[in-house]
Amino acid sequence: MTSGRPHVSLIDGLPPRFGAYCCELWEFRQVAVMLIQRDLIVRFRQTFFGLAWLLFKPLMLMLVLFFAFGFLAGFDRNSAAPYPLTIFCGVLPWYLFTNAVPDAMNSLLSQMHIMQKTYFPRAIIPLAVVIVDGIEFFVAWLLFVLGCIWYGYLPGWQVVLFPVLCLQLFLLVASIGLWLSVLNVRFRDVGNLVPFLMTIAFFVTPVGYTLNQIPSEWQLLCSMNPLVGIIEGLRWSLLDGASGFPLVSWALSTIITLLASVLAVRQFLAVERFLVDLA
Amino acid sequence: MDDIVIDASGLGKRYRLSHKTRADSLKLWARNLMRAGLRGTSSADTEDFWALHDVSLQLHRGECLALVGRNGSGKSTLLKILSRVIPPTQGQARVRGRLVSLLEVGTGFHPELTGRENIFLNGAMLGCSRSLISRRFDRIVAFSGIERFLDTPVKHYSSGMYVRLAYSVAAHVEADILLIDEVLAVGDAEFQEKCLQSLQRQLQDGVAMIVVSHSVTRLHRIAKRVAWLRRGQIAEIAEASSNLLQRYLEDDCGVG
Repeated sequence: MTSGRPHVSLIDGLPPRFGAYCCELWEFRQVAVMLIQRDLIVRFRQTFFGLAWLLFKPLMLMLVLFFAFGFLAGFDRNSAAPYPLTIFCGVLPWYLFTNAVPDAMNSLLSQMHIMQKTYFPRAIIPLAVVIVDGIEFFVAWLLFVLGCIWYGYLPGWQVVLFPVLCLQLFLLVASIGLWLSVLNVRFRDVGNLVPFLMTIAFFVTPVGYTLNQIPSEWQLLCSMNPLVGIIEGLRWSLLDGASGFPLVSWALSTIITLLASVLAVRQFLAVERFLVDLA
Repeated sequence: MDDIVIDASGLGKRYRLSHKTRADSLKLWARNLMRAGLRGTSSADTEDFWALHDVSLQLHRGECLALVGRNGSGKSTLLKILSRVIPPTQGQARVRGRLVSLLEVGTGFHPELTGRENIFLNGAMLGCSRSLISRRFDRIVAFSGIERFLDTPVKHYSSGMYVRLAYSVAAHVEADILLIDEVLAVGDAEFQEKCLQSLQRQLQDGVAMIVVSHSVTRLHRIAKRVAWLRRGQIAEIAEASSNLLQRYLEDDCGVG
């Protein structure tokens, strides 16, 4: 039954190196594919409206925010692009963030029964969850496309930055998710704290409003939130806003995202092998 | 020696038993940290427990080693370390070839998914490529004998059907080394016989196995060597044809 190369592995209880770990992730990619497939199937099986749920939730949030900020507060008056499209650029990344971070956070605990019985690089579990939410994120952009058709609006050349910003958003979400997922195994408190923090984060993130609608002396502080640079970047990329590229907030967001990813990976690799013992 | 597939030396697993409330919350952790900072480490509250201590063994190609021992003697801990579910505290093991651990049947089975979908999911969990499972799909289904329910979600399966399907996947994976923990005790007598025969076939093909089971009669048929674990250590290791199994049985029943 021996096939091909005799693969020798050493079990010594030491933390894995980053490079070797990445190779192993690739080796076990089939597990990730199956987990992603399983999650996608299970999410929509026995639901009557199926995929429509993906569009319905962001649409409702957009309408509520449009009513609050556009209609009541009158923020839409000095907006170059149609205000609902501006809100979509905030709502869609926000939805990914608010879904994927808690999902990833809970993923290791909820899949612990598998981890206790078989080996594969554990990072597959939170990463697969982020990818599933990521797929839903891309489907939800259909709303934006429909909005563009409705308003007869066509994005300019700046749209080339869209994939870069999405990648940055994924990196941010995956990093926070990885970090919280191991933290949640050790300290279940995290599971209580994070949903609460999400509620607060919603109000300090320009989802229903834009960065230049808050007083200028507060804009820098607000940009310490890495989501701000991404959302404002998306608005620039897709809506060709009157204001220029949000350089400061985007640069801050990039630095914070890269920093978070390095810290998260280090933390994850350091404790990965103990996860089953800790649970 | 080229046909050694597992070479373990001095494996040990230590757990810290806490005699106080575990610092499971941030509050307790912070409090302990403060105390530890004030008067050194609080090691007085914990006690070391070696679930496995200084275990060395070698496994050859096409060989089946049986592990026997009472509950808590470290059999499962050893299998978990070798399958990399938990890390050893001491020692190391070199593993040559593809190791597949069957510590339970149906790892990753999801109740909402159909039998067909679960075969692929479980196969991936056991480290098989999709194409391998596709090629062996018909054999897996035939082995399980549940063709009619292949497209039914497994939540509607009887427990017998569930384990039959799960074991059928496990029996068809491509491995050089199999670690099996008590999963042979599934299904009815006929199905168990089928499982034993498939294991014997794999042994003849050169697959090496470590099997944990409390069913000594069954071990006799496939195991060449038997290791007796007591309190985390290998107390004895001998040929299966020796009287070790018999003595273990007497000891286990409290006769000896």
